[in-house]
This record gives sequence, structure tokens and C-alpha cells, in this order.
Amino acid sequence: MNRSGRGVAIVGVGYSDVTRRGEPNVGTLTLAAAKGALDDAGLTARDVDAIVEYSFGFRGDSPMAVSAQRLLGIENLTMFNDLMGTGPSGLAGAMDASMAIASGACETALVYRTITRQAGHTGMMREGPVQAAGAAQFTAPYGYGGGIILAMAMRKRRRVAELGGSFEDYGHIALNARQWAALNPRALFREPITMDDYFASRSVADPLLLFDCDYPVNAACAAVLTTEERARDLRHAPVVVEALAYGTGKRADWLYADDFLFGGTVPCARALWSRTDLTAADVDVAELYDGFTHITISWLEALGLCGIGEFHDWVDAGARIGPGGSLPLNTYGGQLAAGRMHGLAFLTEAVEQLRGECGARQVPGAQVAVVSNAHGPQAGAVLLRAGE
Amino acid sequence: MTRMTGMPVPEGDALTAFYWDGAAAGRLLVTRCVPHGHLSHPPEVSCPVCGSEEVVPVEVSGRGSVYSFTVVRQAFDPAFLAELPYVVALVELDEQPGLRVLTNIVECDVDAVEIGMAVEVTFEARDGTAIPQFRPGTS
Repeated sequence: MNRSGRGVAIVGVGYSDVTRRGEPNVGTLTLAAAKGALDDAGLTARDVDAIVEYSFGFRGDSPMAVSAQRLLGIENLTMFNDLMGTGPSGLAGAMDASMAIASGACETALVYRTITRQAGHTGMMREGPVQAAGAAQFTAPYGYGGGIILAMAMRKRRRVAELGGSFEDYGHIALNARQWAALNPRALFREPITMDDYFASRSVADPLLLFDCDYPVNAACAAVLTTEERARDLRHAPVVVEALAYGTGKRADWLYADDFLFGGTVPCARALWSRTDLTAADVDVAELYDGFTHITISWLEALGLCGIGEFHDWVDAGARIGPGGSLPLNTYGGQLAAGRMHGLAFLTEAVEQLRGECGARQVPGAQVAVVSNAHGPQAGAVLLRAGE
Repeated sequence: MTRMTGMPVPEGDALTAFYWDGAAAGRLLVTRCVPHGHLSHPPEVSCPVCGSEEVVPVEVSGRGSVYSFTVVRQAFDPAFLAELPYVVALVELDEQPGLRVLTNIVECDVDAVEIGMAVEVTFEARDGTAIPQFRPGTS
């Protein structure tokens, strides 16, 4: 490890129920995940002195840190942060908490991402008023809407034109999610799909298909982090934060970035590997954001898990990334098949894999996991290793 | 008399008024930094390439090529229901690699649009404003 500061470990993970209907209370969802993560760590709310959460700030979204503090009856927080709509999605809270613990600003942090269909179903929202002001004046008049859906459709088309491969490459990410979901009782979509099913899925914004997009749910996911030293005395073998990094890329923007295809993923990966003696060849399991299939392919290549533009051959018709493959990818089903918990569940799954607790989907002997979130101007990645 | 469409129209501000005023006069403008001549879009108070705050509007040819595009067949904004299907594209302007504008490709069958296709600017009159659009052209 080349990082300065105190060692940090992830010691607890928790989930609420994941539902596809209704409008559950976000406080109740958050409490379920937070209490689950604390129980898992063998800690109580009294041990928590920091809370970091990520939200879009919409209705039905993550409660603010001090709201969760009240709901848990925590006396005081020595560090808290509300990360609103930027940064590497749900992973951002864990990254922020890691830095705070490493620096000595706090000892034990709770992080969560709570999201409901109401807040997460961005495609349903009208983008702008009839008078489009601010950034929307350059997008809304063109019928550009649905969050980053159209930007992702344009990336999908551009990637194949510029780097080769085919739209089938994207299908392999979607098929892989279902393969792993079949092994995860918490996943939503556990039936396998074929490449024909993928191509038959509804066109969202040509060439983007429904099965390129994750599935909005009501859910919360939480993790508890503390010092590596304290982690040794807790319930599970600690999972250590080996390195973390952010990346934005030049002219950081979802539409106008210099590197339209990869955004901040490439500089993020470069920084990540510069902070550890481990290399891409050491990765046993990869949990890489799949809000859109393009994002996952970008991360695989940016992280050097395969060469830039080489995914098409490397993926070996899916064998490489599926159960029994040499690089197991998104082993809980990802957001495509387990629902959009908006990033943090990639981290909690990696923790469970490195503990060896994943049952039918366990990657045998997994010691090193890489986790990434988001894309474009807000990329982030964390490298984890099994501790002692 | 201007046709009232109910479709979104730009509300310019102090930073962007030059762009929309230019469009209304049939000219496509971008921002150029004085020290280096870097071109950029959309307008900001400084150059996103070098950070210089000395930025001025400059007219460009309006010629470019399709960098990428999507065919929208399901409206994300109800005001566009009557426009379906339509093409949302990033057009890279001929003046500088990486200088891209978000736009629609018009006056062209949606199935005929291709990456790399030469396009040129045209201006759509909409509710008293002018919206830069691109149509097939010569590069």
C-alpha cells in the first residue's frame, strides 16, 4: 500500500428489502440497511461518529446525514457529508468516509444510498421548462431529456464506430448480469436471457436498448467503515481499502468532454494503480457500475482488465466474465438484474466476496476486488483486499 | 407572425446572449480565447482548455460532421411527441477537433444519418427565437 494516513476497513454491509412497487418511506429503508450493516459489523449506532450519504436531492431520495443521525438516535457526529448529485454515485459516500477515517476526522462511519423509483426513474421526468435556462438552454430545445440516457445512446454508437466490436458486446454485459443474478437470492431478475432477447428488448433511444439500462427500484444499501486497527476486533475478517481514486477527465462533462467514450475512467484508473503495488492482474473479482452497459465496458478497459478497444475479443462470448470465468464481473447481478441501488451495492458485494460469504456465487479464493462507480465527469474506483 | 409551438425555447442570459442573438441573425458563434485561440462551446466565463478569462465570441463556418447520434422514438419531453422520430446528435465543427455542439439533424430521413456525415447549420425559427440545427451539407 502506498497510501498515507490510517488504514481503513469495511466491516459491515446491509440492505433493505428491494421492491418494484409502492412508495416506501426512505427513513424506514435507510434504517433497515443501516441496522443491517451495524449488526453485520457487530457494532451499534452508539459506535458511529460519522455519516456520509449520496442523493440527487429529489423527493423519495436518500435522507440527509443528520436525518439518519436522528433516526438512529446518535448523540453527535464528528464528521458528516451530503454528496448531492455529483461524484461517483453511491460509492462516493464510502470514498469520502474512507478519507475521513484515514485522516483521523472520525473513527467509525455509516454510509448509505437510499433510492426509490420516484427519485431514480429519471427517464420519466420532463427535462426542462418551456423557457430553458442555464445548462438546459443548450439541451432542452433539442428534445434532449431523460438524464444521461441520450448521452449513453450516443456513446454506444460512437464506441462501435471508433473502436470496433459490435452491439453484441453490450449484450454480453446484460446476459452476464442475469447469469450471476440466478445465483443471488436477493436479485430481481433471475431468469437467464439470450442474445436474441437482448436485441428484442425495447429501443429506448436507438441504439440503446432496454436491457442496456439498469432497473429502478425502492431500496437502501449501507456499509460501515472504521480503522483497520479497530476492524481486527470486530465480527468479520476486515476488508481493507487498498487504494481509492477519482477521475473527471479534461473538460469534464457528460456531453462535451474531450474523451467522450471514457470520460474520467481512464485518469481514475491510472491514479488508482499508482497508489498500490497490486496490478490489474491481481484482481480476482470486478464490481463495475452498470447503470448502462457502456459504462461497464469502459471501466473494464480503463482499469486495464482488458486492453482499450479489446473487449469484443476479450469477453469470449461472455465466458470470461461469467461464473467460472477468469474475471468474474458483477457477481450479484449488478443493477441490471438486482436493481438500481445506485452504486453502493457494488462495494458491499465486493466485501461479501472477499469474506467468502457469497454461497453459490462465491468466487473461490477471492482476495482482491476492484469496484467502480459512475462514468463521464464523476468517475471513482476503490481497490479492496481481504485483510487479516 | 411566429408559430407558437409549446416546445422549449432558450432563455439566454448575460453569458449566452451573444450565442442566441447570433443565431437570430443567422450566424453560428462559439467562444474563442484570446491568448491561444481555443474554441469552445457552450459558453463559459473562461476557456475550458486553458482557463483564460479573456474569451470572445467568434463566428464559425457552421460546417461539421456527425460525431455521434441517437434516434429518439420515445419522447422524454411531451412537447416533442409530434416530432418523433427525431435525431439528437453531437456535431463536431470543422474549425477544431473536439469542438462539438448538441443539436438535431434535420431535413434528412432519420435512417440516413451516419457518423462522419457532413452537415451544415440551419436555423429553426421557434416562438421568436432561432435554434441552430444541422442538415446534410458539404464539408
